[in-house]
Amino acid sequence: MPNLQQVFSEVGYAHFLVLGAILFAIGVGGVLLRRNALIIMMSIELMLNAGNLTILTFARMHGDLGGHSFAMIVMAVAAAEIAVGLAIVVAIFRGRRHIDVDRLNILKH
Amino acid sequence: MTARIAIVFLALGLLGGAHAFAQPAAPTAVRVDQPAPVPVEVRPPARAATPAGKGITKRDQAESPKLQPTTAAGKRTKAGLAFAFWGFAALTVFGSLFVLTRRNLITAVMGMVGTFFALAALYMLLYAHFLAVIQLLVYAGAIMVLFVFVIMILNKPEDEPFAQSGRFGKFLAGLAMVYLVFRLGAVLVDVPSHGSAAQIAAQNAAPALTSDGFAWGSTAAVGWNLFNEYLFPFEAVSILLLIAVVGAIAISRPFKQDEQDTPSEAAAGGH
Amino acid sequence: MDTIKFLWVVPLLPLAGAFINLMLAKRLARQTVHFIAVASVAASFFTALYLCVGPLREAYGVWKANGEQGAFGLTEHLWTWIQAGDLKLDMALRLDTLSSVMVLIVTGCSTLIHIYSTGYMADEPRYAAYFGYLNLFTGAMLILVLGANMPVMFIGWEGVGLCSFLLIGFWFENESFADAGRKAFVVNRIGDFAFLLGMFLLWWATHEVDGGKSLDFAVLRSVGESNSGIYEQVFWGRERLAAAAGILLFIGAAGKSAQLPLYVWLPDAMAGPTPVSALIHAATMVTAGVYMIARLSFLFAASTTAMAVVTTVGALTALVAAFMAFAQTDLKKVLAYSTVSQLGFMFVGVGTGNWSAGVFHLMTHAFFKAGLFLGAGSVMHGMNGSGDIRIMGGLKKYMPITRLCFLVYCLAIAGFPLTSGFFSKDEILAGAWAAHLDGWPAFYGKLIWGVMTVTALGTAFYMWRLYFMVFEGPYRGHDQVEHPHESPPAMTVPLVILAVLAAFAGFIGIPHVIHVQGVLGDIGHFLPHWIGRSVKEMPEGHLSDSMTWVLLAIATAMGLLGIGLAYLLYGKGPSPLVDRFTAGPGKSLYEASKNKLWIDELYDSVFVKPFRALARGTFEIVDRFMIDTVLVNGSAFAVATCSRILRWVQNGQIQRYLVGLVLGCAAIFLWTSRSDGPSFSYREVPGGVEFRANPGHGLRAGAQVQWDFDGDGQPDPGETSAVVVKRLGDVASRVTLYVVDPVWGRRDERGQPKNRVTVTQAVRLSDDRASDDAATGGGAR
Repeated sequence: MPNLQQVFSEVGYAHFLVLGAILFAIGVGGVLLRRNALIIMMSIELMLNAGNLTILTFARMHGDLGGHSFAMIVMAVAAAEIAVGLAIVVAIFRGRRHIDVDRLNILKH
Repeated sequence: MTARIAIVFLALGLLGGAHAFAQPAAPTAVRVDQPAPVPVEVRPPARAATPAGKGITKRDQAESPKLQPTTAAGKRTKAGLAFAFWGFAALTVFGSLFVLTRRNLITAVMGMVGTFFALAALYMLLYAHFLAVIQLLVYAGAIMVLFVFVIMILNKPEDEPFAQSGRFGKFLAGLAMVYLVFRLGAVLVDVPSHGSAAQIAAQNAAPALTSDGFAWGSTAAVGWNLFNEYLFPFEAVSILLLIAVVGAIAISRPFKQDEQDTPSEAAAGGH
Repeated sequence: MDTIKFLWVVPLLPLAGAFINLMLAKRLARQTVHFIAVASVAASFFTALYLCVGPLREAYGVWKANGEQGAFGLTEHLWTWIQAGDLKLDMALRLDTLSSVMVLIVTGCSTLIHIYSTGYMADEPRYAAYFGYLNLFTGAMLILVLGANMPVMFIGWEGVGLCSFLLIGFWFENESFADAGRKAFVVNRIGDFAFLLGMFLLWWATHEVDGGKSLDFAVLRSVGESNSGIYEQVFWGRERLAAAAGILLFIGAAGKSAQLPLYVWLPDAMAGPTPVSALIHAATMVTAGVYMIARLSFLFAASTTAMAVVTTVGALTALVAAFMAFAQTDLKKVLAYSTVSQLGFMFVGVGTGNWSAGVFHLMTHAFFKAGLFLGAGSVMHGMNGSGDIRIMGGLKKYMPITRLCFLVYCLAIAGFPLTSGFFSKDEILAGAWAAHLDGWPAFYGKLIWGVMTVTALGTAFYMWRLYFMVFEGPYRGHDQVEHPHESPPAMTVPLVILAVLAAFAGFIGIPHVIHVQGVLGDIGHFLPHWIGRSVKEMPEGHLSDSMTWVLLAIATAMGLLGIGLAYLLYGKGPSPLVDRFTAGPGKSLYEASKNKLWIDELYDSVFVKPFRALARGTFEIVDRFMIDTVLVNGSAFAVATCSRILRWVQNGQIQRYLVGLVLGCAAIFLWTSRSDGPSFSYREVPGGVEFRANPGHGLRAGAQVQWDFDGDGQPDPGETSAVVVKRLGDVASRVTLYVVDPVWGRRDERGQPKNRVTVTQAVRLSDDRASDDAATGGGAR
């Protein structure tokens, strides 16, 4: 078991990785637990950012700038996804006057 | 109900068992005072090497005194780094917890913005300067603003924040998520540090300049990398953005019956 | 063994007729149908006649001239039916003296009955089916009679059982008639099962003997004669094999020929059309059992136990059936019981070793019983289908021809002197009196004789009761049937022919005491000699001439006594004496007789009801519950439940999908991230043993290994490669492999790997002696 004092005082790559994992987990929790579609989309954004953090950590670890390019592209994709997603949310709201995912289930079997 | 409890226990048992399996088998005969076998050289990876983070044990410290900062400035740098990290990490997590728990949507959005700010700071710590700024501009500046717009449009009153249906499945998913994080942590704990002291010291130093002479992580460096090696993905992403724009417009167009021209007008106005 | 040609025509013609009639039933006109049917059977009769009078007689002459060596018979081998290992069964037909008699009886009676049926069944809508079945029956019976080995006989055996079912239940729209057909088939089947067992037993006994590899009758007989122990070997308890086989086969005969306890189908079989009763249940099918025993005379002769069983059962049956016939009021039922009783006579005949007497009685019985049934049919036809003798009486003025023929038949069955029945019955009685087989008590033959004599008295009585009630006295049926009428010539002509036969056919079997000289003598004593050529000779009983005359006289007296009693009581219709008797002192006897001794009811409660309950229980449990509910509905339920569970996955809520995703991800981690533990394997190569270490998956190539070969518990220095070859002598019985994982293993303070993974295996080498030799320095290697 590593020394706790060292863990706290000597910040290394592992810390970033674990932080990314925790952020990702919180994002998953947000998607699963919240009822409002907008919050769910924000949680998805959180997951994407956790991924960004992780890849940047590995880029620093290996000195590879490709990670930065990757992270850029991820951001672009996230932006595109948000645009379309929010348009869909607005469209749903127009039709149903609510965006409660508990009630949005007509795409079932 | 009892079925669900049983499933939970089963899942926990599986997790524990699988974790035990996933470990290399526990030592059955530990011989401490053996003449040490000749260690076979592990070929170090091509680039700069393994992290000198959590894996550092006392032995490594003993053998690589260079790792311990000796100067006061060095000690302060190390402490400052730790402070910064923990502070921003805490801000990140708190912000995301806001998203998870707040009923008021605007509050959630604000939390999210805080997260993004902290993340940008963390990117700075990772020498990803360009991306830190881009993060602020794109995420906190554009995407969150878009969220605020949509929230204003929808103007829904607050309601019960947490989803009610399918709670058992979500509970299982939560357990699975915890397990995954735990596995990640276990991997990180198990990976020992490698390399000699000099290698570790070199790793902790600031990154070297790129081959084109730019600072690592700067705009120019990222730009060179992006437009030279990853040009095709860049162009593809551009098209993706175009598609997204068109799609967003298409989805948010008003319905046909709202604005249908009457046939006579169309005929009169047409050819 | 001599061969004969065209014997196959005899059974084939009726079968072909059956085929045509059954296949083309709807399209043929009535005339065509009965023409085909009658013509085929008649042609079969004439062919058989030709074959008997021609080739058979010639061969007989040749055989006699050659000093009567071996058994006499002509066979025709048609094709090889089954050949599997030891078993070789041929489809072969045999014509010898015994089967010649039978074949002529069968075809002759069948022809007459076919002709009769054209009149009797004239109004029947399923005309073609009827004649088809009748032809089919005749064909099957001929196969039975002409079969040269037991399996072919069994084909015919089963065939007649089938046709009996088809014909008894011919008017199956009536539920009770259909039941009667089923009853016949089921009871027959019980007998058939025993027949099969007997046949298998014979096979078992003979197939290891050289030359005994088929169930040919001739072969079975010669095997028995050449290896005398075969049939006499002790088989079960203290009984011989022949006893066991004989009793089993007799049970089969009891089923087919309606003896106790399997006779119950025959009275019910009267539900079928009367010509069917005449053909099947008088002349042919029921005689199959007697024929079979005569055929296997050598087998039965080898066991007096079996013969005792046959005789006893036959006698009892005769007595009991006669008893039951006293109180019956249906014309055909009386005749049915009479048939059972007369069959008992026949079995007594063959059971006492008097094979030819049994067959002789079979022949005469065929004539007069078939005639009786046809006459009954004629009466019923005249009475518009009713067979109740209580409403008949005085029919002699309405149906003179029928009455005359009926009279002749009744004389014959009662044993009136010089009728055929007289000679045949007397033969049996005399044979019973004189029978003295090994192991039988001395008085036994005489006891049987007494029983049969009493039965003969009873026979005469109830038959003449029947005659008087039907034809004499005042006509009692004016309310029911105004004008009884005589039958058409198609029906009366066969009656006449049969009456002639019943009257005069006995003259070919005159007992020896009546000495007739010359050609007439040859004819007169013809039948016993003729049949005797095919059956096993039994030791002559001691019967002096005077005793024979005495017995003859007693038999005649019994017959006349019976007729007289019947005349007394029924001469002018049922007399008040009878009513007083049956209401008063004879009431219980009368009830017992009328209710057939309640045997049907007994069978019903002992066998049928429990079986029905068992069937119902099986249906409920196995069919309804296990198959329907558990298997069919259960599998549907299982599928539905599984699908209900799986439907959970996709309910339209996106959060559910993410749950699935996360769970799947965790599952992948769970299942794919186990690492094999290290292990090692070894094999022997020239030069020693090769050990190969397998560090386990997930480890890099740089895994460090150490071995411990000498069993001291410490890793051996210098052995660090993954593949090591050691000499045999250097390897201990337990070898240990130490593996250090350079990447994933933990380190202690000095940077040395902290945990080694240890694997210890017991090493078993093929050749411990070699290792010892190696240890001592010598050795093969």
